[in-house]
Amino acid sequence: MTLKSRPAIALLSLSLAAIALTGCSEEAAGGSDAAGDSGSCAPEDVQLVGQVRNESNPYEASWLDGGDAFAASVGLEQNRLTYDGDSTKQQEQVRQLLAGDTSCLVMNVLPNGDSDTTPIVKGADQAGAYLVTQWNKPADLDPTDYERWISHITYNGVESGQQIGDALVEAIGGSGGIIALQGVLDTAAAKDRFAGLEATLAENPDVTLLDQQAANFSRAEALEVTKTLLTKHGDDVLGIWAANDDMALGALEALQQAGRAGEVAVVGIDAVPDALTAIEGGEMTATVSSDGPWQGGIGLAIGYCVATGDLAVDDVSDEDRAFFAEQFLITDDNVGEYLTPETDAADFECDNVFNRVAGPLS
Amino acid sequence: MTSPAEDSREVVTAPPRPRRGVSLREAGPPVALIAIFTVFAALSSQFRTVGNIQNILDAAAVLAVVACGITFVLMMGSIDLSAAGVMATSALAVALLVENNRNDNDLGLIGIVLAVLLAASLGALSGVLLVLLKVPSFMTTLGVSAIGLGLATLMFAGVQPNISDAGLESWAVERLLGFTYLTWIAAGCVLVGWLIQRYTRLGRYAYAIGGAEEVLALSGVKVAPYKVAVFTLAGAFYGLGGVMVTSQLGAGLVQAGKGYDFLAITAAVVGGTLLTGGRGGVLHTTVGVLLIVVLTNGLVQVGVSPYWQGGVQGLIVVAAVAAAVVPLRHRNQVVK
Repeated sequence: MTLKSRPAIALLSLSLAAIALTGCSEEAAGGSDAAGDSGSCAPEDVQLVGQVRNESNPYEASWLDGGDAFAASVGLEQNRLTYDGDSTKQQEQVRQLLAGDTSCLVMNVLPNGDSDTTPIVKGADQAGAYLVTQWNKPADLDPTDYERWISHITYNGVESGQQIGDALVEAIGGSGGIIALQGVLDTAAAKDRFAGLEATLAENPDVTLLDQQAANFSRAEALEVTKTLLTKHGDDVLGIWAANDDMALGALEALQQAGRAGEVAVVGIDAVPDALTAIEGGEMTATVSSDGPWQGGIGLAIGYCVATGDLAVDDVSDEDRAFFAEQFLITDDNVGEYLTPETDAADFECDNVFNRVAGPLS
Repeated sequence: MTSPAEDSREVVTAPPRPRRGVSLREAGPPVALIAIFTVFAALSSQFRTVGNIQNILDAAAVLAVVACGITFVLMMGSIDLSAAGVMATSALAVALLVENNRNDNDLGLIGIVLAVLLAASLGALSGVLLVLLKVPSFMTTLGVSAIGLGLATLMFAGVQPNISDAGLESWAVERLLGFTYLTWIAAGCVLVGWLIQRYTRLGRYAYAIGGAEEVLALSGVKVAPYKVAVFTLAGAFYGLGGVMVTSQLGAGLVQAGKGYDFLAITAAVVGGTLLTGGRGGVLHTTVGVLLIVVLTNGLVQVGVSPYWQGGVQGLIVVAAVAAAVVPLRHRNQVVK
């Protein structure tokens, strides 16, 4: 008898708990609706959230540090979230955030992939949280269709691919053979950056692309692939174009192991600290910086300005709601300025938050 | 009285037949390796250069060590998905313990040993969880992998540790008789693995556990300590793998072991180690490792487009496994 009733009691108490929880969350949701008027938050009530994949790569760690720097400048703290590159985990974190008090919530989010952006945007818009997304969004999803999705910031991969391509061509003296290390082939970043290299090659007919291989943005894979390509093409390889710095650093290790360090020019993208050190030491030729700390700060700054009423969403022009941000080519001429990544508080003032718009998304 | 004697006579006379069968059965993967090697050598003049063969063996080093560890677990009929996390922990640990740009440690060889021990203790944790809590190895090792990645991320703390320890850096660069130290280390590991498998109680029991654990337990063998020991041994191999990756890349990366878990299992299975346990071994796995590395290298050397490589590689692996298990197939065989 007792044994039989135990599951029933458990079930009953569970459903009671569920009912109680539903009641609570309904209350909270009601509260946020009442205070949901745009731009009326007191600065101290604003909650800042920065969400990236993980803190185990220097770029995303510096992104969150930039968010902290902005938060400190307005006397707040940033909630640092990471989701280990797991789309499900990201959605779960966002749902939990949006289930709380969302009236003054500002989120600066790096969606895991294009398709992950849609539910985040819809959820935030419904809950009334201020949202800035970066890097990934489906082409047909437009911030101007939403009230609370203020802006989407990304970078022109074709441009950066060409910038380092041109730097590489210059470094090898305008003619000779190069090899290319591509990223994960089915990502927009890999496709765009490689298109940039192809544009460089079209302008420089004396430079031949000896081989191109996918090394999936990974240092270890780039090391193996480069070693293989160096045995395949030998001394014909004068330059190595890599779609990110991790692969460029893997290529540098391969050159060192093959005893050819310093003879081959290497370029990458992202401006990770090790790449900057390599450029300073003359082992690497160039990289491109999207300025991670700025990205971490700017998303929060835009949201903060709108939430506190310093900036009205209606006043933000359509071009500023989805834009390519400025990126910077780093060579040994200017590497000194980038060695210690820092944010400039002036960039985050409400009048300046759209200063780095390089062009609208095409 | 007579029937037991007859039985034992049968048992005594039985061995020669299976043994002959075994040698035939196990010829599949080496034959596939030689066939693939020959095809690539015929197609590409660059592939058959001495430089490229050195390159292939260098590239196989880390995978060979990791696969060596995983083989013992697979022989036991368990599975181990913890390689990525354990390698990450040992990669970060060793990068922080030898001379580096993050702290003043300069422990050299002791640092390497400590990192391997740390990895071994993570392996032991997998084993203990499996034995004490009776959680399937699939789940415990997946959990331990996450723990390992977590530990590594904590140690990473936003700044990548670059190693400047001359000894560890030389592993990937210095050569002895044409091969890097890493390749020799891997060869040493395979030898040690084979000796353990062949001549120690641990190795023999690993086979026996995979073949018929209940029988072993019923005949009075305490199986649990051996299971823990096998996972510990595997952890130590992964740890050494993580140290080797750190030596190659010159830095401790959280991603050091990324992909090695499934690659090592693939290598073991391609080489003829069965996922159900009780069959295969370190040498089989080494053949599987070489098969995969030759394939990766060869596809680049003959100039297959990167857009096609993934698919082509998968197809050849499946074909190689299918060809390798042809002699093993028999009527009524159950495949899960």
